[in-house]
Amino acid sequence: MIFSTLEHILTHISFSIISIVITIFLISLSVDEIVGLYDSSEKGMIATFFCITGLLVTRWIYSGHFPLSDLYESLIFLSWSFSVIHMVPYFKKHKNYLSTITAPSTIFTQGFATSGLLTEMHQSEIVVPALQSQWLMMHVSMMILGYAALLCGSLLSVALLVITLRKAIRVFSKKNNFLNESFSFVEIQYMNERSNVLLTTSFCSSRNYYRAQLIQQLDQWSYRIISLGFLFLTIGILSGAVWANEAWGSYWNWDPKETWAFITWTLFAIYLHTRTNKNWESLNCAIVASIGFLIIWICYFGVNLLGIGLHSYGSFNLH
Amino acid sequence: MNKNPLNHQLETAVKLRHCWCSEKPLPCSSRNSASMESLNTFTNPLNPPSPRRIPLKPFQIHHHHPKSTQRNLSSPISCKLKSSQKDTTKSSTKLISQKILLSENMPPPLAEEEDGVEAEKPLENDKNGAMGMWLKRLPRRVLSVLSNLPLAIGEMATVAALMALGTIIDQGEAPDFYFQRYPEDNPALGFFTWRWVLTLGFDHMYSSPIFLGTLVLLGTSLMACTYTTQIPLVKVARRWNFLQSSEAIRKQEFSERLSRASVQDLGIILMGSGYEVFLKGPSLYAFKGLAGRFAPIGVHLAMLLIMAGGTLSATGSFKGSVTVPQGLNFVIGDVLGPTGFLSNPSEEFNTEVHVNRFYMDYYDSGEVSQFHTDLSLFDLGGKEVMRKTISVNDPLRYGGFTIYQTDWSFSALQVLKDSEGPFNLPMAPLQINGDKKLFGTFLPVSDTDASSVKGISMLARDLQSIVLYDQDGKFAGVRRPNSKLPIDIGGTKIVIVDAIGSTGLNLKTDPGVPIVYAGFGALMLTTCISYLSHTQVWALQDGTAVVVGGKTNRAKGEFPEEMNRLLNRVPEIVGQSASEHSEDRGG
Repeated sequence: MIFSTLEHILTHISFSIISIVITIFLISLSVDEIVGLYDSSEKGMIATFFCITGLLVTRWIYSGHFPLSDLYESLIFLSWSFSVIHMVPYFKKHKNYLSTITAPSTIFTQGFATSGLLTEMHQSEIVVPALQSQWLMMHVSMMILGYAALLCGSLLSVALLVITLRKAIRVFSKKNNFLNESFSFVEIQYMNERSNVLLTTSFCSSRNYYRAQLIQQLDQWSYRIISLGFLFLTIGILSGAVWANEAWGSYWNWDPKETWAFITWTLFAIYLHTRTNKNWESLNCAIVASIGFLIIWICYFGVNLLGIGLHSYGSFNLH
Repeated sequence: MNKNPLNHQLETAVKLRHCWCSEKPLPCSSRNSASMESLNTFTNPLNPPSPRRIPLKPFQIHHHHPKSTQRNLSSPISCKLKSSQKDTTKSSTKLISQKILLSENMPPPLAEEEDGVEAEKPLENDKNGAMGMWLKRLPRRVLSVLSNLPLAIGEMATVAALMALGTIIDQGEAPDFYFQRYPEDNPALGFFTWRWVLTLGFDHMYSSPIFLGTLVLLGTSLMACTYTTQIPLVKVARRWNFLQSSEAIRKQEFSERLSRASVQDLGIILMGSGYEVFLKGPSLYAFKGLAGRFAPIGVHLAMLLIMAGGTLSATGSFKGSVTVPQGLNFVIGDVLGPTGFLSNPSEEFNTEVHVNRFYMDYYDSGEVSQFHTDLSLFDLGGKEVMRKTISVNDPLRYGGFTIYQTDWSFSALQVLKDSEGPFNLPMAPLQINGDKKLFGTFLPVSDTDASSVKGISMLARDLQSIVLYDQDGKFAGVRRPNSKLPIDIGGTKIVIVDAIGSTGLNLKTDPGVPIVYAGFGALMLTTCISYLSHTQVWALQDGTAVVVGGKTNRAKGEFPEEMNRLLNRVPEIVGQSASEHSEDRGG
């Protein structure tokens, strides 16, 4: 009984902290002199990480099996992975813009998981015989970590596309000031973080320079994190195949979930290959990675909505 | 062969690598520092020590290319390294070279070999006739077409699109299904009818010619690309090249100028950070993470291995499934069917499998937690060769085939009716929604010749408890098979004696599995390694200053910071004598 109350409390704490953190981020975008706010948002993310870890550990102890056996638990694991990814550059002392992606992602997944949409799934359920294996831990955790990293990377590519194409849009239509101003917030924040003193050269050229730098940084960060995510995804798919062979005798069954994971893998392999060609860099790769964002959601959620195949553990019905 | 321990250390100190020598670099790798010291003591008697610091004193060494012993006598000694600082006599050179050569057991080529030799001898000779030329060029042209990158990307995209289509269109249904789903008078997307589905083979997409053909094309592209693009890339990456001018160094992605520093200090700091450093006079070349360049080749090879293994699995394996009631047996060869033309039955197919016992574990809530089957294997002579209890995720392996526990069923219910019996009533599966199972059986109590027979129905979800209903279909009671408790239904006394389950087994023998597993392991490992970034650093001593430049191929974002951290640790030389800054070495 105490465990379930503890779990309940931790869920709500993590959700509230995340909401506060995201509010702080949004405030700091428009009012950028309050440095203390940035630090407190960092601490907020760390607190969230500990809360979600506590939540997962509590669920593990309470139910006796590793907390990854149905959709609700995998969603919590996903938001946990986002918070881990958020904290890794923080420990390496890189100031980076990944945090603007991971923090909202954490809140969205955590919010969706704890929302009223899935209340009937909050109860920890028993594990069917097919899932009682050590492979469960490795396969599913690697897949979720891979999804989280790839989602971050593809969101960074989407951001890159938006910034690049906004320049092109602006050339065509000078009237759309609202769009311009709303996105210039990000650039102003970037500029303020890079240099405290605005250069005396003309505002326009320095903005272009910083925009080019921002694009390059986004490009490199998305490349690095997508490679990491690709690695996790590979290990996840292969461990799933080995597990299937141990459990059912065949390592690949063209199950919808398996097939879509393979499609995701192929798409990000295409991304990595387009990067080798220097002429195509940044724009084409970003387009490929943005398609990857959709494909990951189809793979993770879309297949579960159908509820068919061998991976039917994660199915749920939207009422 | 009694190897001189010094030379063994030499070998480990200087990693054997191919030297493209018009330059003759001096390796000062720190892999085996003990060898450095011993090397110094070795060379010291021959060459008086220089006033410079000891570990980086130039010394002489020979390289041996391990593979080229047969090809060319001169290539084993591909580099002869000369100290650029000092005058060494020919005799000392000979002495060293002979000492190394003899103990290496190589054919003693002349130590006077000066010229750097290329690794690949031009093997192509002129063939006669234009036809021969064209025939020779054809593979090359095909190769160059196949290893085109956009083609490969297109193939990958096609494979992905076909797979996606395969998940949208239901696979493996009867043609009638497709007639109804994709009718001709109301085609999906305006043109997609059942004709498309059946002629293109989309109903069995993953074994259709289109899909397999695209996969084969992708495989050949993989092989072509590995051969033409990646292997030469490896050779280029392994080349040591020194940049001789500061302009060339400044052109790198990252470049910096350190005033009042020395290249040797930089070399030591780089060595401490895990780089492999090579010094030639005033110029330095260091690299780290070379494995990151090789690993993509490994990835491609692993994928080819997986494809080959998968092909073998698809054409050479046997599979089958069987549901066996407890207490019965079957012969393995009877239930296995071949999957392709390479399937070869083996002697173990004569083994007989006997199901000793089938039982299930339950949670407290009543759900099934695990099912177990106790199996015995008997050979032709009737001798028991193996006995094991299997469960889901714990199969039985014997003689190249594997038996998996995948399913269960209810075979029969043993009942006593009015103390007569026991009668075995077969249980039939009943259809309900979802994937829960329901079995039922019927015990007639009235005259069986009448048109409507009345009797007692018994339903069961699992082997734990049986629910009984009377002749009118009203609920009568629940009994557990082991309780031996009788129940009276309309005058008939029923005792449930036993619930006999049957186990659902999948059998398989797959020769391609070891290959595929090897491919999996290689793929995981090489993907990990290819995450490493290949970093190269060049430096040149320009007077009292050092010009440093570097580039990396993957981790471009963190590279400037990492380099700055390293360069901050290079000590600044204050004062004239070189011995002063031997104390403040390192960071």
